[in-house]
Amino acid sequence: MASTLTAPPTVDDRVSSRSLGARLLSRPEVGSLVGAVVVLVFFLIVAPPFRELATTGTILYQSALIGVMAVPVALLMIGGEFDLSAGVAVTTAGLTAGLFSYQFSTNVWVGVAVSLVVMICIGAFNGWLLMRTGLPSFLVTLGTFFILQGLNLGVTRVLSGTVSSNSISDMDGFSSAQAVFASEFKLGPLNVKILVVWWIVFVALGTWVLLKTKVGNWIFAVGGDAAAARAVGVPVKRVKIGLFITVGVFAWFSGMHLLFNQAVVQSGEGVGKEFIYIIAAVVGGCLLTGGYGSVVGSAIGALIFGMTQLGVVYAGWNADWFKAFLGVMLLLATIVNLAVKRRADLR
Amino acid sequence: MSTTTGFAEEATTSPTSPIVHLDDVGKSYGNVHALRGVTLAVRQGEITCVLGDNGAGKSTLIKIIAGLHEHTDGVLSVNGEERRFSSPRESLDSGIATVYQDLALAPLMSVWRNFFLGNEITKALGTMDATKMKRIAHEELTKMGISIPNLEQPVGMLSGGQRQCIAIARAIYFGAKVLILDEPTAALGVKQSGVVLKYIVKARDAGLGVVFITHNPHHAYLVGNHFVVLKLGRVSLDTHRADISLEQLTNEMAGGSELEALSHELRGVDPELVVERVEGNGQVAVESPLDKGAG
Amino acid sequence: MVRWQKKAVATGAALVLVAALGACSSSGGKQEEESSGGAAGNVADTPRMKVAFITHAAPGDTFWDLVRKGAEAAAAKDNVELQYSGAPEGADQANLVQTAIDQKVDGLAVTLAKPDAMQANVKKAADGGIPVVALNGGIEAWQAAGALGYFGQDERIAGQAAGAKLTELGAKKAVCVIQEQGHVGLEARCQGVKDKFPNVEKLYITGTDMPGSQTTMTSKLQQDKSIDYVVTLGAPFALAAVKSVKDAGSSAKVGTFDTNKDLIGAIKSGDVQWAVDQQPYLQGYLAVDSLWLYKTNGNTIGGGQPTLTGPAFIDKGNVAAVEKFAAGGTR
Repeated sequence: MASTLTAPPTVDDRVSSRSLGARLLSRPEVGSLVGAVVVLVFFLIVAPPFRELATTGTILYQSALIGVMAVPVALLMIGGEFDLSAGVAVTTAGLTAGLFSYQFSTNVWVGVAVSLVVMICIGAFNGWLLMRTGLPSFLVTLGTFFILQGLNLGVTRVLSGTVSSNSISDMDGFSSAQAVFASEFKLGPLNVKILVVWWIVFVALGTWVLLKTKVGNWIFAVGGDAAAARAVGVPVKRVKIGLFITVGVFAWFSGMHLLFNQAVVQSGEGVGKEFIYIIAAVVGGCLLTGGYGSVVGSAIGALIFGMTQLGVVYAGWNADWFKAFLGVMLLLATIVNLAVKRRADLR
Repeated sequence: MSTTTGFAEEATTSPTSPIVHLDDVGKSYGNVHALRGVTLAVRQGEITCVLGDNGAGKSTLIKIIAGLHEHTDGVLSVNGEERRFSSPRESLDSGIATVYQDLALAPLMSVWRNFFLGNEITKALGTMDATKMKRIAHEELTKMGISIPNLEQPVGMLSGGQRQCIAIARAIYFGAKVLILDEPTAALGVKQSGVVLKYIVKARDAGLGVVFITHNPHHAYLVGNHFVVLKLGRVSLDTHRADISLEQLTNEMAGGSELEALSHELRGVDPELVVERVEGNGQVAVESPLDKGAG
Repeated sequence: MVRWQKKAVATGAALVLVAALGACSSSGGKQEEESSGGAAGNVADTPRMKVAFITHAAPGDTFWDLVRKGAEAAAAKDNVELQYSGAPEGADQANLVQTAIDQKVDGLAVTLAKPDAMQANVKKAADGGIPVVALNGGIEAWQAAGALGYFGQDERIAGQAAGAKLTELGAKKAVCVIQEQGHVGLEARCQGVKDKFPNVEKLYITGTDMPGSQTTMTSKLQQDKSIDYVVTLGAPFALAAVKSVKDAGSSAKVGTFDTNKDLIGAIKSGDVQWAVDQQPYLQGYLAVDSLWLYKTNGNTIGGGQPTLTGPAFIDKGNVAAVEKFAAGGTR
C-alpha cells in the first residue's frame, strides 16, 4: 500500500511487464494441458496403436462424447452451480425425440424440435426451482435426476412396451438428421465423426461467450460472488436460469447424437455420466466453488478422460484393472494440474 | 494519519439543495422497528457522516437508500422527486452508488472485469471492448491516484485498501451523484484507512454527495461536513461541523450520558489491581463496584 | 425476463406446430405397427392367485422385457395376479423376497444370480409353505434353496456352445465383451466360450453408456487387428459392435448372446452372424405356469431336474421363423 501512496499518478510502466509466458501460465486450463501431455506421452510409450493416425479419430470421438456436455457443465460450474441431471437428461432428450416421432408417425425432425422444447423447459425448470427455493443446486438437480431417470424408464415402457425406444431408422428425415447429428467423413487417413467437429465449434463458441462477451463477465461474477454481482446490477437469476437452459440445450444435442447414432435409445442409459462431465470440467481447471474455470479446460479434461479410457484398451492391459487404471490416471492428471496451477499462482 | 488531517478544512459547504433527502423515514420488520423517524439530507460536494454503534440502524439506512430494502414509513426523495426503490438497479439508475463493506467485487475476477461489472462496454453481439475497458479502468484508477500494476490480476489478491479504492473509482466513473460508503475503514489498518479517506475527499471534490458510514468518530471528523449519529434506530444527533468538536462527537458517539454513568461506576476500580487469589472452582474472585451497579 | 421466456416458449411451440402439420413420416413409426394377436385365449377359471416375480434385472435391459412378457402372458392365462419387481443388488433382491413372504403370496418366482445373498430368504419362503421356482440364474443353487424347479440355461454350457460355434466357423481370435464388470453369469459365459475356443480375450464396457461402449470396442479392434470375431453378451451391445467394426475398418464378425427385435433384423441383414438364444419369454412363462400347475394340480415341471430353455442358435438359416414373433416383442 505504501507504494501506491507515493506512486506518481502518471502511466505506470509496470503494466506491460508481465511476459506472455507468465500470462499463459496463469490461465486456468494450463495445468490440465500439462496433464494431457503427460497422459499422451505415457500412452504413446506403452500403447503402440496410440501412435497410429487412424486411432486418433476414435480417441477424439470418445472425448467428444464427454466434451460436448462438458462445455455447458463447465459454464454452469463457473456460474457457481451443479447439474446432476445432465447425464440422464441426454437420454431423456433422445427418448423424447425417438418416441414422439414414432408414436405420432411424424417426420423425425418434428421429434427433434419437440425434444428441444422439452429440454429447454427442463433446464428452465431446474433454474427456476433453484432460484425460487434458494436450495443448493446439488439437491434440486438430484431431485430432477431421479425424476428424469424414472420418467425415462416409465414413459418408455408405457409407450413402446419395452425398455428402449422403437427404431426410427426407416422414417422420413432420418438420414438428414443423421447427417447433422451422427455422420462421419474421411480426412486423409482419419475417420472423423461429425460430433468431433461440433465439439470444436461448441468449445470455441463457449470460450468466446465466456471471455469476450458481457454475459461471460456476468457468468464469472454470479459464480464468484452472487451478492456482489446483484449489487452492481447483474441480473443474477436470469444468468443462472440461462445457464441451466444451456445445459438443457446441449443435453438435447447430445441426445440427438445418441438417437441418430443407433436409431434407438436404451432408457436406462446416462446414469453416472453427469459426474464424468463434472470431472472433465474440474480436471480442466473449474473450481468446485464457482467463479473460476475455462471451457477450453473442460475440453482438455474430456480429452484426458477419452485418452485414458481408450489408452487402457490400446495398451492391451488386463481388462479387470481397467477402472483402477482410469482412476490412477485421472488422479495423476489432477495432481499435475494442481501443481502447475500452484506454481503459476506464485509468479 | 498526520498526512490526512485537514482534508475537511478544504471542504466548502455548498448551499445547494439536497440530492437525496430522507424525511421521517422508518423501517419495520413486523413489530421490530429497525429505523424510526430518520431525516437526512445529502448535498452535492458534501460529506455526510452517519455514525452509530453496532445495531444502531446504520445498515438498514444504507439498504433503504441502495434499494435493497423498501422503507415502510416516511418519504425518500431524489432530486426532489419521491422514490421507492425495489431493486439495487433502480437506486443505481438514480445516480446512487453504494460501496458495501464487502465491496461488491468478485474476488476471482480481474481488476478491469470487476471495474466494469454490470456496465460492460459492448460492441456488436454483446462482445466486450476489452481494450477500451482496460484503458479506461487504468485511466480512472490513475486519476484517483491508485496504481495497480496488472489489471489482469484477480481482485482477491489486492489489499483491502486497494479494493475499496477500486470500488469507489468505479462508482465515480459510472456517473454516481451520491456515493454511499459502508464502513470503508472498518477492516483497515491506520495507513490504509488514510488512503481511503483521501479518496473519499477526492470523490467529494469531484462533486459527489458522499454518505460516509462509520463507527469511528476520528475518521468521520477528519473528512465530514455534517454528522448524524444514530442510536437504537433513531437520530440522536444531527449537526454541522462548525457546531461540534471532535471531543463532543466522540462523546456523543461513545454513548454520551451513558458513558458518563459508566465512567462513574468504573471510578472505584483500580486499573493497576492484579488479582491472584483463585478459588477452588478456578474462577477469579474479585470485588468490583460494577457488580453492585449491575445487580 | 418473463417476456423473454414466454417468447422462447412461444417460438418453440409455433415451430413444433408448423412442423407437425406438414411432416408426417411416409414410412415407419407406429402407423406400421401390426397388432399382434398374442396369447389372448381363455382365462382359467381357477381361483385368483398372487405370484411375486422377483428378478435381478437392472432397469432398462431389453432382455428382461421378454422375460416379463412371458410371465405376464402366463399370468393372464392362469388368472394370476403378477407382482413383478427387480433389484440388481443381491441384498435388495433378498429384501424383495422378504416383502413377498410378508404379503403371503401364493407363489414365488425368483432369479438366483447371486445365490449367496438370496439363499436364506428363499429358503424361508419355501419352508413357510410358499411354492418357489427359480429361473434364469442359479442352476447350482435352486435345489438347495428349496425351489420346485428351474427354468433357464446353464451360462457355462451356453458359453461353451458359442465357443464351439466359433471353432466350427474357423475363427482365429475373438473378444468377449462384458457389459457389467463382476457379473457372475456374464463371466461364466465368457469362461464357457474360452473352454471351447481358447484364443479369446475379455473386454469390459460400461453397459449404461452406449456410445462409450462403441468406442471402447472400436479401440480394441484397432489395437488388436488379429481379432476376427466379436462376441457380445447382450443384444444392444451386438448392434453397437456392428458400428465399432465399421469404425475400426475391421473385418471382424459379430455374434451375440440374447436377442431383441432389432437384433433379429440385424441377423436377417447379415450384420450379426448368430445369437445364442435362451428363450427368455419361455423362462418367464414357464416359471408362472409351473406355479399355477403346482397349485392347481400338484405338478412340477422338470421332475426335479433343471428345465433348460437354451442354448439355441438363431442365424440366417432360421431367422425367418423367429422374425414374426420378434416383431410382436415376444422373441
